[in-house]
This record gives sequence, C-alpha cells and structure tokens, in this order.
Amino acid sequence: MSHATGHILVVGAGIGGMRTAMDLAETGHAVTLVEHAPHVGGLLASLDHQFPTNHCGMCRMLPRLDRDQSVQACLRKGLTHERIHIRTDTDIMAIDGDTGNLTVTLRQKSGYVDARRCMGCGACADVCPVDIPDPFNAGLSTRKAIHSPLPHAWPALYQIDGTACTRCGECRTVCPTNAIVLPAGEKSHFRVLVVDDEAIVRESIRDWLREEEGFHVDVADSGPAGLSLLTNAPYHLMLLDIKMPGMDGVDVLRQASTLSPDTQVIMMTAFATVETAVEAMKIGAMDYLIKPFEPDALIPKVMQVYDRVAAMTDQTIQVQAVILNAGTTLYDPSSGKNNLGYQTHPGVVTSLEFERIISNSGPFAGKLVRPKDDRPVQRLAWLQCVGSRDFQSDGDFCSSVCCMISIKEAVLAREKYGPNLDAAIYYMDMRTYDKSFQRYRDAAERDHGIRFVRGRVHTMIIDPETQDLVIRYADRSGDMQESIVDMAVLAIGQRPARAMPKLADMCHLPLNSWGFAETQPFSLTRTAKPGIFLGGSFTGLKDIRETVILSSAAGLNASRALQSGVTKPVTDALPAPRTRDVSRELPAIRILICTCHQALQIDTDLLSRRLRPCPSLLGIDIVTAICTPEGSEAIGRILNASDFNRLLVAACPQEMHSGIRRDLAQMTGLDRNLIDCVDIHTPIFRKGLTEHPDIHAEMAHILDMGIHRLAGANPLASELTPIHHHALVVGGGVAGMTAALALADHGVPVDLVEKNATLGGNLCWIQETLQGDKIPPFRAELEQKISKHPNITLYTQTTVAGFSGQTGGFVTTLEGPEKKVTTSRHGAVILATGGMETPVQGYGYGQSPAILTQKELEEQIATHALNIGDPGSVVMIQCAGTREEPRNYCSRVCCATSLKQAMMLKSQNPELAVYILYRDMMTYGFTEHLYTRARKAGVVFIAYDPEAKPTVMVDGNDVRVRVMEPVLNRVLEIQADRVILAAGMIPSPNTDICGIFGIKPDPDGFYQEADIKWRPVESTREGVFVCGIGLSPGTISESIATAEAAAQKALALLFRPEILRSRTTARVRHSLCSLCQLCISACPYGARQMESDLNRIVIDPLMCQGCGACAAICPNDAAVMDEWLPQHMFGVIDAALA
Amino acid sequence: MSDLYKLVIPDEGVLAGLRRFFRSILELESIQAILAPVQLPMKPSVMPALISDPDQIDHCDPLAPSFPLNAAKVVSQLTRNPIGGTVAVFLRSCEIRAFIELVKLKQGTLDEVVIIGMDCPGAFQNASYRRFVQSCTEDPGATFFNQIQKKDTAFPGNIDLAEACKACEHFTPDGADIAIGWLGMASEDHFLLKGQTDRGLDVLKQLKLPEAAAPLMRHGAIADMLAKRLAYRDDMFATTHAATSNLKKLTAYLADCVNCYNCRVVCPVCYCRECVFVTDVFDHDASQVLKWSQRRGLVKLPADTVFYHLTRLAHMSTACVGCGQCSNACPNDIPVMELFRSVAEKTQNAFGYEAGRSVDDAPPLSVFRENEFEDVVGIKGE
Repeated sequence: MSHATGHILVVGAGIGGMRTAMDLAETGHAVTLVEHAPHVGGLLASLDHQFPTNHCGMCRMLPRLDRDQSVQACLRKGLTHERIHIRTDTDIMAIDGDTGNLTVTLRQKSGYVDARRCMGCGACADVCPVDIPDPFNAGLSTRKAIHSPLPHAWPALYQIDGTACTRCGECRTVCPTNAIVLPAGEKSHFRVLVVDDEAIVRESIRDWLREEEGFHVDVADSGPAGLSLLTNAPYHLMLLDIKMPGMDGVDVLRQASTLSPDTQVIMMTAFATVETAVEAMKIGAMDYLIKPFEPDALIPKVMQVYDRVAAMTDQTIQVQAVILNAGTTLYDPSSGKNNLGYQTHPGVVTSLEFERIISNSGPFAGKLVRPKDDRPVQRLAWLQCVGSRDFQSDGDFCSSVCCMISIKEAVLAREKYGPNLDAAIYYMDMRTYDKSFQRYRDAAERDHGIRFVRGRVHTMIIDPETQDLVIRYADRSGDMQESIVDMAVLAIGQRPARAMPKLADMCHLPLNSWGFAETQPFSLTRTAKPGIFLGGSFTGLKDIRETVILSSAAGLNASRALQSGVTKPVTDALPAPRTRDVSRELPAIRILICTCHQALQIDTDLLSRRLRPCPSLLGIDIVTAICTPEGSEAIGRILNASDFNRLLVAACPQEMHSGIRRDLAQMTGLDRNLIDCVDIHTPIFRKGLTEHPDIHAEMAHILDMGIHRLAGANPLASELTPIHHHALVVGGGVAGMTAALALADHGVPVDLVEKNATLGGNLCWIQETLQGDKIPPFRAELEQKISKHPNITLYTQTTVAGFSGQTGGFVTTLEGPEKKVTTSRHGAVILATGGMETPVQGYGYGQSPAILTQKELEEQIATHALNIGDPGSVVMIQCAGTREEPRNYCSRVCCATSLKQAMMLKSQNPELAVYILYRDMMTYGFTEHLYTRARKAGVVFIAYDPEAKPTVMVDGNDVRVRVMEPVLNRVLEIQADRVILAAGMIPSPNTDICGIFGIKPDPDGFYQEADIKWRPVESTREGVFVCGIGLSPGTISESIATAEAAAQKALALLFRPEILRSRTTARVRHSLCSLCQLCISACPYGARQMESDLNRIVIDPLMCQGCGACAAICPNDAAVMDEWLPQHMFGVIDAALA
Repeated sequence: MSDLYKLVIPDEGVLAGLRRFFRSILELESIQAILAPVQLPMKPSVMPALISDPDQIDHCDPLAPSFPLNAAKVVSQLTRNPIGGTVAVFLRSCEIRAFIELVKLKQGTLDEVVIIGMDCPGAFQNASYRRFVQSCTEDPGATFFNQIQKKDTAFPGNIDLAEACKACEHFTPDGADIAIGWLGMASEDHFLLKGQTDRGLDVLKQLKLPEAAAPLMRHGAIADMLAKRLAYRDDMFATTHAATSNLKKLTAYLADCVNCYNCRVVCPVCYCRECVFVTDVFDHDASQVLKWSQRRGLVKLPADTVFYHLTRLAHMSTACVGCGQCSNACPNDIPVMELFRSVAEKTQNAFGYEAGRSVDDAPPLSVFRENEFEDVVGIKGE
C-alpha cells in the first residue's frame, strides 16, 4: 500500500471547503482549513432551506466511515475533525513554491476575546452600547460590537468588531472569565501620512488624528513630497488627495503601490471627481472620502485600518498542496445604474435578504414584511438575471443557481404564507438544467401555484401614493407590460470571490474575462500551476450538488499530486495509543473540574456528599485552567495515582470539542472511550452561579449524568473491519477510465470492466469540446495510461454477473468473453456505466436523410460527409427527446452542443442560415457566452412552448419546419436542408446494473444518489459509488469531476487495510432477538439483514451510522446501540430529572 | 358459484355437528392435522390439542366456555418454521386476530394453515369456568351454548361471561379462511359455512357440502349483538379512563402489581423471546435504589411496576386484540384488560389501525411518515 499522506491547505470553509477538507481528512491527510469569515459554513450558514427537499441536510456531509474522528453533530453549528485545523478570520497573504513544498503565509485577525476563556454566556453583549448591522441577517437587523458571529454556533464564541468597538470597556467589567482582551497596540506607533496641497485640509486632519486620537501623523504638500516620505519610512495609512497640481493622486497611488505595497490608501476627493476615486479603488485604494468631511467621517475609516494592523498576526505554514475553495461573492444591485431601485425603494430585496426575512431566526421572526416600512406583503415578484446575462453590469454569463433559488423561495413563501400570496417569477430562460430541477419547477407551477412570467424586468418605480412597486418588462412578443407588487426579490448573480485577484496573482492563475480563475482543459479543478487546485464555486457559482462534487474532485487531484513520489510521505501524526485493559475492573471514576482561572468557587467535599451514594466515584480534583500548560502539569500530578480506570472532565464546551480526550488518553494509557467531558461552565455562567451556593447542586446534577454515562462506557477496544484493498470500476468510458486512474494512482489495484471490446464510450464519437479542445488525442492518452498502469487490470467484453458481501469485502462475479466466469473480492465499487443519445421519435426522424440527431451531425462533421447547399439552412430543434414526461429532465449538454455545432457550421459557411428552436436555452455558467456569440454570428433563436412544438414535414427531398414565432406572433415555415434533433441523453439501457448491485435507480433510470445534494456520488448502498452519465447527463469535464469525486469517496474506504468500527454502532443481542425484523425496515441505511443461513439479524458495521432507529423500535432491547445501552441511559435520565 | 355452504346440525346436537365437520376436514388428503380445544382425559379442563387421528375427534370441545390461553401463541409456534403439511386450526376471533398480528411480526406464517373460526359465544374466566363445570349436570359446553343460543345468561353457579367477552365487538371470525356462522340461524337446520378466502373455499369445495342460501336473519342478529357489545365497551372505556386519568390514579389502579409478569406471559401479542423487564436492562444498581430512597424518603419495591405496564402499553397497545387473558392471569385481580383496551382504542385510532384486521396493514410503529402528528411532535412542515 503506497498511499502517501500530507498536509494540505484548503482556502475557504463554506460547504465546498468543508467537503474538500473532510474528504482529505478521511483519506488520512492533515488539513488546514482557512476562512476569511469568523465562522465556517459560508453562504449556507444563513440559508437553511435547500431544494429539492426544502429542508437542510448539511449533516449528511459528515464522515460516515471513521465517525469517531469527528464530532457527529449539526454542521451548521460548526465542524470538528481531528485531522482538520480550522482557522477563521484568516486571510492568505502569500503562497510560494511548488507541489509538495509550498510555503503559505497566513494572517489572522484577532477577535479580542480569548476563545479558551469565552463561555458564550453573552453578558458582554448585554452591556455593549454599540449597534451595527448584522451580516448574518444580510444587514436587516443589528448586533452589538461584541457578538457571536453565528447565532447558532456551538460552542458559542464571542468576538469584538474592532472597527465598531468604542473601547468603552463595559464588556471587560462583566465578563466572568476575563476573556476579553481589548486591542492593546500603541496608537503612537500607527503611522499616518497625509498628502494634500491644501494646507487647511492637511492641518485639520493632523490635528484630529494626532491631538485627539494620538496617532503618529506626517504631512506632505505634494505627490513627490509624499512619495519621498514613503521611501524613507513605512506608513500604515496614507490619506491622499486626488486633485493636486503636478502629480495627481492617482499617479501617486500607482507609484506608492510598488514602493510600499502594505500601505493602505484612502483617497480624498471633491464631489466632481468621485468617479476618479472609484477608478482608484480598482488599482488598490481601499476607500475614499468626499471633501469636505468631518472627523466623524474620517475617524472610523482610520480606525478600521488601525484595527486591522493592530490585531493581525502572521504565520507561515508548510503544505504540500493548496485548494482554493473560496466561493464567490454576489452582485451588489445598488452598484451601477440601479434601475431596480435596490436600497432606495421599500420592498426591493435580494434573494439572500428574502431568505433571512422569511426565516424564523431572521430579523422579523419569520413575518413577511418589507424591511423599510414594515408593510405586510401579499404580492411577490422574483426578478431573474440581476447582474447576470447582462452586459451593462459586466455579467455576460449565467450564474447557474438563481433560477432554482427563486423557485425554491417562491415555494417556501407559498408554503409558509398560504395560497393567498401571489408569487410570480419574471425570467428569460428557466435554467432547470440539473438532475431533478425540471420536475421541481413543474411542481412549483402545478402544485404550488407559482406563476412563471417570461420577460425581463428593466425598470422598477415606486408609486408615490400607494408605495406599491411597479415593475415594467417586455413580454415575449416584445410588448411593454406593467405589474404591481409589494415586494420584489432580486435574483442576484455571481461575482468573483473578493480574494480572487490576490489569490490568482499569488498562484499565477489565468482569469477569464469576468475575473474568475480558469482550470486546465478537461478538468474543472486542476490549474496550470502545480500544487494549486480549485474547488466548489470558486470557478463560478454552483448549486450544492455540484459544489460538493467539484470539492471532492479537487481534493482527489490534490491528493493525487502527493502520490507522484516527489514529496516525502508524511505519515499520520498521531501515534497509536497504548491502552491499558480495564475490562475486568469495576468502573472507578476520577473527576477533574476546571474552575476557569478560579472563576468558580467549588467545595469538593460538599460536591462529593451530593453525589453519594456513588460506588464508582473515586474522587474529585480541581484544576485551575485545564487548557493552559499549567493546567496540563496539574493534571499530570493528579493522574500519577493510577487507581482509576475512567476520567470525567468537567469544563467548558470548547473542551468537549478539543483534543483533551486524546491527550488524556495518552497520559493515562486509558482508551479514549473511558474519558468523557461534560460542560458545566455553560449552565453555571449563564445562570450566574459562579459564587452562589447553588453551584454545587447544579454541578452535581451534570456530573451525576456524566458518571452514569461513563460508568457504562465500553472498556473494550473498538473492533476492526477489514477492507479488501482492491477496487472494481464498471464502465470504460471517460468516467470509468478517470475513476480507475484516480484510484490506481493512489496505489489501489483496480479491475476495470467494459462490456464492449474497446474503451472510450461516448468519447468515440465526440470531436471537440465546447471550448474547442480536441477529443481524439485526449481519448488516446487516457487509453494509453490505462493500458500501461501497473495497478489496472482491464477486462473488456466483460459484464458483472453477481455481487454480494459486506462493505469493504464485496464478492463480485465477472462474466467475460465466451461466458468465462471469474470471482474476486473488492473493497469498493465505482459504477460508470454511462449513457447514450435518446432514441428519437417523431419530428420526421427516419423519413429523410436530412433529419439527423446531434450525434449523427457530429459524426458527419468529422467525416466531412455533410454537404449543405449554398447558402442553405439548418434548423435545430432542442428538447427533442427529454424535458417532458416520462423523461422530464434536462440533458444539460444539448443546448451548448447545438451552439457548438452551429458555430462549426457557420465557420465553414458564414452564409448558412441556422435556426435554433428552443424552450429555454440552458447555457448555464460561462457557456452563456457561447449563446451571445451565436446570436452575434446571426444564428436565429426562436422560443417555442411544449404545447405548440415545431412540426417537421417531409415531402420527398423537401423538408420544412413549422414553428410559432412569438415576436411576430405567427407560424413560420422554414425550408431546411438539415434538421438537427437535440435528443438528450438516457442512461445505458441494456444492463440491470442497479439490480445486480442492490442500489436504487432514480425515476429516469439514472443511479439514485444517497442524497442528491450532499452525497451526490454515493449510491444508496455504502461502498458502491456512482459517476458519469449513468449518474446524470453532463459534459465531459463534468463527468470527469463526478468520477474524481467518486474515486475520492472510494479512497476513504480503501486507503487503509482495516477501519476502526465507530463506537456508536448497532449490535444485536441474539439470545433476546425474536427475529420480528422490525429493525430491518426501521434502518434508514439498509445496514441490517436477516441472514437465513444463521437465522440471525446481521449488521454491516460500516453501513450502520449509529442513529438508533433499530434500538428505538426493538421492544426488548435485543437491538442496542453500543455506548448508549438503556441501562446506562436510565441512570443518565434519572440524574437529569433528579 | 356460491361461497356459502351448509353445516348440517344433526339430531344429536351442535357439538356432534361440529365434530363431524372437523372430522371431514381431517379426513381430507390435503389436511394433516387439526388444532382444536379438547377435553383433557384426566381433568375436566379444556386445552388446545393438535389432532391427527380422526378417531380422536370426539375429544374435541369447541363449545366449552373455557379460554385458558390464547392459542395464537401455539399456532405461531407451529408455523414459525415449515411444518411440512397443512394444518387446520379452530380459533376464537381474538385468537385469529392475535395470530394475524404475530404473522406481521414474523412470528408465524399463514402458508401452512387453514383457519376455521366461529361466531364466538364468549367464555368465562378460568376460576368461573371451574365453578361452572361443577354446577353443570350435563355436558358443560353443550349446556352453555344452548343457553347462549337462547340468549339466556343466567348460568349455573351464578357466573357471568368474562369482561373482555362482554365488551368484544369482534365476535365474528373475519380473519378466518372458513367461518362458521350460527348467529341469526336459529330457525334453520344448519349453521352457515362461509369460505372467506381462496384457501377456505378450496377446502369447502373438497368437502362436497350442500350449498346454502344467504340467511335472512343473520345480519340483524349480528347488528343487535354488536350494539349491545359496543354500549358495554364504551361504558367500560369511560369507567377506566376516569379511574386512570392521571399518574396518581394510575398508580393506585396498578397498586397491587407484584411484577409477576403473568399478564405479559399470557399476552398473545407480547412476542418477545424475553421481556426487557427481566433482562439486565432493569438490573438497577443497589446504590441507585438507595439514591431513590434518599431522594424521596421511601421507595416502593419492586420499583418498576407502573413503568412496566406503561412500557407494555407503549410496545403492545397498538397490537392489543382485547382477548382479556391478562386479566385472566392476574393473581391480584387488577383489571389489566380494561386498561389495555381503553388505551389501545386510542392508540389504534390515532394511527387508523385495527389490530388483527389484515396482514396487509403494517404495524404503526414500523411505518415512518415525515409529516404526521404535527400537533404532537410540534414540528410543522414549513
């Protein structure tokens, strides 16, 4: 086994970054996860409903195999994994080096609160006098300068917004644990340079900043004078006038940015030159001030810089690879012309704000009102493509997810506020291109009464009398229409992540025309720079499903880069613990109580008396601060007595999530399972009992629960489940080949099975990608890699005939040429059985050689068999096989393929007339650009409704297409030299692959995911992973990404010879079991089976997720959850209720 | 073709007619044995027996108002594993319904049984039956049935039907393959045989019995009896609810319980191989018991009596068929059946479930629905 592990940096801790980090941690790597924001979760931290379930399912991302390495709790509250080091409030300052040897400089901002001391009691916020807009609620509510950035985070940690804080010190006086450390940096060390030709401005600023605030201030009366000061000494901040004789401010800025790149610059401008100031911000100024200004305007901006400088600490780390997964930002609709009146009209909100408004934890407690005037809302409109598909805002792309977000929000609104709410979506094309989207959209219209109105809203005005919003748009026939609504939700599009320019610069990444980083051909995650990978939404906004896929794929490629042998393998940093066998001893518990720097006054005798009778309790020890080195020493002294066999630590919630159990296990030689933590601090600090006599009653209560739980902890070591280090990949198309190579490169022996005689699948007929990359050489390269790889055994003309066994040890029967049967064992399986073009019916197909499918056209273009008369005309009909029941899904690729083929034909013959008849052009993401290009090239686009489909008439050699033209509002008849049918894709139909592997197909015959959003490449059976077209239609690079993601998931199973069974795994007490099998139907993971040979219920330990449904339904506890045995839980409950 | 046949009542009486019918079934090639209540030779007790020799059929006593145990448990034991043949079983309605519950819990199968049921005349509690037998001058079963047919409930020994029977609304054998009907047949010379399933019809066809016409009086007779039973039942519910409406009253109701677990041993639907209350789960630490005592000043022992009944209600009330064996078995005369039926009424109604109705209704606790009981669980679909 040659799986090399290393230290990998993941930038961005939204769900994408979390996915990448957890995948890598699950495959043995150490991960540093860096996040600019003060919490993990990204955008989704404040969005709690996701389509298609309209619930949250984030916890489904949690590790499922080595569960004990992570805290198995709600991921919205936080992420804790032993191999993941999370650093929030942190930015990347520099990345140097290459794969295997990268040096990264991190800069972390202080929150001025000692995280180890903060108990989250909130006393500080109660006394804080400062109210500022709360970004968690999209600025619709306020919070204090000292606050918990994520209201639902656990442990709840407070921090100070240094810019808003007035340093009044009130919070310090009330904090029970002295956790608050106000900024201590000396103001006189903060150097400010003022450059202005007007003496009065220079001097008043100097007075304000030096005399009143105590900063160090120098002044210069011209650009050159300023620059020379800057050359001589460093400045933290420069206040720079724009309009100066000689050298103007912008020139000074330009030179200063090379001379002293760390100096922050604030431009000072007259009203007339505001635009210049805005330009200056593009070349590096951080802000501007409009003259004349008062100290009140200036000082906060200066404080912001001062605060940043004072509170920053830099650190360098060594990593072997970097994954940029920093997401995207969203378009600010108040920028530019703001023709939709955002922030000026009441009732105009962004999609993000809307979701906070309707949230029960939002600013209005779930009441649907307009934020500005509290007016109740009855008529709601969603306006699509705000900042997307829009030249004026530099957004000639589709932001991919806004259509579905709007549909979801409309459905949520109708579900929550009832059918009297009028909900309409104004759109150009409804981009329901991904799996399950189309049916969700149809249900929204049919079952929820959402109105879909085709037309782009160009203006919104407010009726001064009624305060109603009036929206104006052009309908399909081009006529102007007006609608009156109470609230308009702007479906805002994507913009590159704020850190994108900086990160791209550090990593030398090329950016596309809109400022998003670009990847290599045939990959959505690899870059030209070795060691740097892109994940999730960093390359453009994605929905959860795609974000998760691309994040897993990025992790896989980063991990693969470490396998090349260039790097020194870094082995697991945690030494195997030496454990003492105490299974034959009665429970003997010592309790360690942390007083958090003596904030608690505890009488141990009194406490012991309260806990009596308790034969398993040996004694109680007090530690002043368990999290400090002194605390560790004190523990060491206490633990020298080895009369105990279990340890109960009573401290704060942070300790419950820290590595203290692991550390104490090492110190004592006890199994980690025999050490437990209880949180006594939260209730005591929240109730203000620190010095109150009731503290003992409160503590006894919690400790008693902990004692019962710990006394019942299983003293035996966890069992191991062996994993067969061998994988099976079914399907030799691009997904199967990719998956096989990905696993083989990680040292896993792979059996690659293909039913045909040759590899390649759909690659055999596609000529080039949308981006113009040629397929045949790519295919040849893949095939060669497969054939030469020492870890891959290729079985062509072979199918899978049988499959059985448990996760990690499946038994597979292969049937080769001449019915030759072989049986082998595999630890994991990846299915990539692919798909094909939908067989076309109708549209005259088969009646004339002029009527072709997209695939046939592609083949004719390749063989130059196409011969269209001059000037000639081609009609392409979209959705000619899908997006209608029974195949009511979009095949994703056909619209873009039509555009590609139209452009290929146009390039051969610019005079050729090309008509594309479409329902909704599904050019999501940057393929929107192809759509624009095709329109510019003169391709004619005609929208049709499914109720009035185009008809094709064949009369000998004459082929005509009739279609209703909505703008002219009449039927057009087009004489066509070729009719091209965009038929879409279906999954490979000729094997019962789902039946053989015991997994579920979706309604259209594609593989059903374990969870469509959160576990998109896992089948409904643990250990069987799915990818490629068999999973869902997609482009070549999208299929590759699913294959890489599937390989990453399989690696988590395969990378070691055995897996430690999680402590919380179901067990059957066979002597009590009546075999009623209720537990089998209750198990949501399919982990239980009636084994008729043994006449017993058996459990697949890797499938079991410890949910306890079996134990709940079993009437006599024949089904139990280890570690949560009822006899011990009774004790805990009894203690809780005492 | 009709599904109704005649079970001719000979001059010798009902008992002889039933025995003849059972014998004819046992003589069929396709039936290997018949399970029916028999008079024990050594004592005038009635117990189920598996009869395979037709000559032994005269021991069988289907009319005796004796109900010492719910035979669903016996049938479950006979059908859990393949028996290698087909067995006919004569069961009371509450036994059939209990057996259907057990089949759903995989404790038996319908594959190798033909269930024969009869309009149930009811039965006595065990002690009452013994007194009844002593007071009877003629065959107790025939005496009893004679009186029942005449609606004469002044039984010798001044005894009454069991409470469970008086409150039973499921006296017709709806789940049987073959139903024997006598209600509303007083003016006829035969009882009614109805094939209620393909399997039952097949057996009746093989017997080559005379076909019967639909009886005129039967429907009314059943409705009358049902009305009486429901009225009695609802009174019982009201009394029981009043007696158990809070934890204090419930504790008083169950005060005489000594944790003998007889009620669960005789309960036909309590199918656990071993009740959780006799496993290590309830082996309380001695220190725990002392702690309870210290906390409250005194603790009654055994401690888990109310808990035991509440648990059994939680586990089994949805499967309760109201046979009353629990009350029959209680050494301290706790009205266990009344409590179980009153709670079962509510729990079964809550899920739209009726214990024993059909093998196709899944037991409520085995079904997960995301959106149900929103008022109870407090989670509203947003």
